[in-house]
Amino acid sequence: MSLYAIQTEIMAMEKKRRLYSMAGIVLIAAVLISGYGLANDLNSGGFLTGMQQFFDYPSEIVKEAWAAGFSFFLVMGRFVPALVETLNIAGAASIVGGTLAVVLAFLGSANLGVKPPVVVTIVRRIMDIMRAFPELIIALFLIFILGSSPVPAMIAVAIHTAGALGKLFSEVNENADADPVEGLASCGATWLQRMRYGVLPQVLPNYLSYFMLRFEINVRASAILGFVGAGGIGMELRRTIGWGKGAGDETAALFMLLILSIFVIDQLSSFIRRRLVTGRDPE
Amino acid sequence: MASSTLAIQPPAPISGSLAVFSRLRRSSLMIMAGTGLMVLYLLYTFISFDLWHLISRSQPQRAVLLATDAVAHKVHITKNIRGAGRLSIAVEGERTATYETPPGWVTVSDDLTRVDLAQGYRVDIYDTHVIFQIPDIGPVHVRITDAGIKTTLPKGVDPPDWLRATSAKFDARPTLGRRVQVSKARIEVHRYFMGWENFFFPFRSELTAYSPGQLFALAFSDQRIDPDMPNWRLMFTTFWKNPGWQHKQVFVALLETFLMAILGTLTAALVGLPLAVLAAANFTPAQALRFVVRRVFDFLRGIDMLIWSLIFIRAFGLGPLTGALAIAFTDTGSLGKLFSEALEGVNNKQMEGVHATGANRLQFYRFGVIPQIIPVFVSQTLYYLEANVRSATIIGALGAGGIGLMLVEAMNTQRHWENVFYLILLTISLVMVMDTVSAKVRSRLIHGRSGT
Amino acid sequence: MKIADLTKTFGKITAVDAVSFSIDQPQMIGVIGPSGAGKSTLLRMINRLTDATRGSIQINDREILQLSGREKRRWQRDCAMIFQQFNLVPRLNVVTNVLMGRLNGHSTLKSLFSIFGRHMVDEALAALDRLGIADQALQRAETLSGGQQQRVAIARALMQQPKMVLADEPIASLDPLSAEKVMTALREIRDRDNLTVLCNLHTLDTARTYCDRVIGMLQGSIVFDDVPSKLTPSVVRDIYGADQELNESVTSTSIPGPVFIPEPMRIRKPALA
Repeated sequence: MSLYAIQTEIMAMEKKRRLYSMAGIVLIAAVLISGYGLANDLNSGGFLTGMQQFFDYPSEIVKEAWAAGFSFFLVMGRFVPALVETLNIAGAASIVGGTLAVVLAFLGSANLGVKPPVVVTIVRRIMDIMRAFPELIIALFLIFILGSSPVPAMIAVAIHTAGALGKLFSEVNENADADPVEGLASCGATWLQRMRYGVLPQVLPNYLSYFMLRFEINVRASAILGFVGAGGIGMELRRTIGWGKGAGDETAALFMLLILSIFVIDQLSSFIRRRLVTGRDPE
Repeated sequence: MASSTLAIQPPAPISGSLAVFSRLRRSSLMIMAGTGLMVLYLLYTFISFDLWHLISRSQPQRAVLLATDAVAHKVHITKNIRGAGRLSIAVEGERTATYETPPGWVTVSDDLTRVDLAQGYRVDIYDTHVIFQIPDIGPVHVRITDAGIKTTLPKGVDPPDWLRATSAKFDARPTLGRRVQVSKARIEVHRYFMGWENFFFPFRSELTAYSPGQLFALAFSDQRIDPDMPNWRLMFTTFWKNPGWQHKQVFVALLETFLMAILGTLTAALVGLPLAVLAAANFTPAQALRFVVRRVFDFLRGIDMLIWSLIFIRAFGLGPLTGALAIAFTDTGSLGKLFSEALEGVNNKQMEGVHATGANRLQFYRFGVIPQIIPVFVSQTLYYLEANVRSATIIGALGAGGIGLMLVEAMNTQRHWENVFYLILLTISLVMVMDTVSAKVRSRLIHGRSGT
Repeated sequence: MKIADLTKTFGKITAVDAVSFSIDQPQMIGVIGPSGAGKSTLLRMINRLTDATRGSIQINDREILQLSGREKRRWQRDCAMIFQQFNLVPRLNVVTNVLMGRLNGHSTLKSLFSIFGRHMVDEALAALDRLGIADQALQRAETLSGGQQQRVAIARALMQQPKMVLADEPIASLDPLSAEKVMTALREIRDRDNLTVLCNLHTLDTARTYCDRVIGMLQGSIVFDDVPSKLTPSVVRDIYGADQELNESVTSTSIPGPVFIPEPMRIRKPALA
């Protein structure tokens, strides 16, 4: 191919690319404008009226919390057990789901010599389905069968966690160096031993980092599922909000607890993740 | 082949051997302690969740009920004792789905109503006397008397566990698909059929009688059923407004959920990006400004979607705008933080190269920064979009509307499980379609654009 | 050990083509030949890391290629293998890497929790001491130099209490000084432990210096099998081809010691490298 031909081809590609970018931008703008128009029409309260009332509710509960004075902290203290319950839902779900995710990830990685290979495909599909199932649906279904309790939320979050973490973990596995595994195979190690010593030490820091991120997400999910009947801080919120006026200090206390705990967990998780990253190979 | 095995001398006393051993021992103890702690914590949570009690009072029959109702429908044959003693045959007992003439398996004469439940099961209803024919057991007589319900089993037959007979009520369900209930007020027989009833057209519609082939032919036929509109339009309208399944409302609900996710995510991404530039150390020298923007991100993320949703629901009421804004507020924080981290990680050499060509500020961003940040921007935005479709169902359930709220309401009425199942299927399909499309676009954009 | 008609094909390419030879007594055998001659595949088939397409490997009337499951893994422990890239677990410490040699037969539960008995740890330390790196026992493997890592790999092989040792280009990634230490250690396994060592080498002088017997391979077949002294320039030309003029010393890892003065020789590096 002559230089000229190459040049025209590059120019053509560049043009095409620019065209795609422009089309993309126009499309996004169109989606945004028409979408907000449609959403505004479908909404029971319009955007402008909503904006005017936006600060009404927050200022109302802040006022009531302020009026409560020091006893506000006592109210907060009263809700600590609910917070602990929410954290326990998230914690148990993260551990159960994370453990399941490790198993699924090892069976669902193409490079680890899982036999027969069709297992990898099946496990991947299972993970996709677990990930796709909205937590809300599983939680509602289990609440219907088991009754209102933290367990349905725990199971729902655990299932989602297993699918989501399983996929991330298996991606980490597939980037792992194969040489150590081969070295162990040449010593006559079983599959489990090869995974334990050949793969796990390589992938563990990444696993932990993803796990911490997931735990934070799970705390938020557990709180929100409480609202549909799964207990914990979400359930208390529904109760106090349902009462309407008068329970503003309790609502404010619950908001405060939730925000504080999410802040602490966020800081903790990013601290641990930073340490995991910097503590890695010196090279 | 060598005959001797390898001669590693019998463990010679090596200096520090004990130290090495105890180091190994310590790390293995750490692994065990870690595992043990995890197990203990799980035990503690299960105890605090009162798991055993929960299992003991769980109602697995509800799952069976839901599963049966999700794939089957039943026809009620009801006879009211009080009042006129009228007999009605209706799908799911709905007034709107009452048979004018009894179906073939019900024969009605002056003093006897005979219901054939197939496979040898049969119910004969005389005035206040019901005879339930059950294979292998024989006829069970149930009489409504002033003293209460009197049940007589054939001689020598113990009452089976699927049969409950008190003086107030007789309830027998020998198989999942057959049920007979008798109380002082009414006699009710249920027979189940596979499939969803009247999914396409309401019971009363003349379209219900046609087969799919006939309907297809009818759609393009010039002979109008309704003189006001072509047949295909009639068919669509009838389907769209089917009261039992509410296809229109369901569609709008799905659209609302989808709108919440896509508007919320796009808004968050487009607002988050310029803010991220202000929060990135290598783009914004003003430390105070960076600090402020970062705290804004933390604030938006920290409030959590639950709280944002509740506040927005209060201010904006029911609807997709509410959900979209709640998602937008939360994820502006998350995406902004991610983008600013990505911006801080961009390759300086590439940027300097562009600077060296004497590019102006806009060109500098266009050629030096955007190409590096675009893969992160697109893939993270799509990733959040996927997650937000799921979030939008939950926000909907909190009260913002959409498919989530519809689902919660359908479950709370505890009646039409086929509708619940249908909504679940639709929600999962929506999520899976979004997942697939987003994964495709992501891999296309990232692989197709690498190196540009 | 008797190897007969051993063949491996990858699709249309025949990597090892009907190779037959036998080993009657413990000896150090060097396998030489250009890249792509099938040396690695041959060793991997003996260790059963790669399945053979056809042929047989018999030891005391036992067919190695038929082994599967537990018996196969036991055989893998019996014939320890050393790799060009060491194939250690980089994030684990040295002594644990050596203990990996004894994973075969170690119970699953003990493996999961990394429990090893005192006597096993002592054995591992003895093996490390023999190779002169006992001081590094608690360092992470990845912090060691290439030569040290290869010696850890040899210690792991010793830990396996093998009946023979396979080494696949053990010194190809090492500097000359480390290479000498590694080759000496392998030779010592032959002399002190009286084991067969089958070693792939890319340098002729190493093969001449350390081996009792040299097998030359070209395009999957054995073209030479005799004592190193029979390795005349014309034979070498047969093995490596004669297209390109190359001094042997250029490709060799010159090892101080028994000095071998190379004659000018033509060595062709095939494109498959």
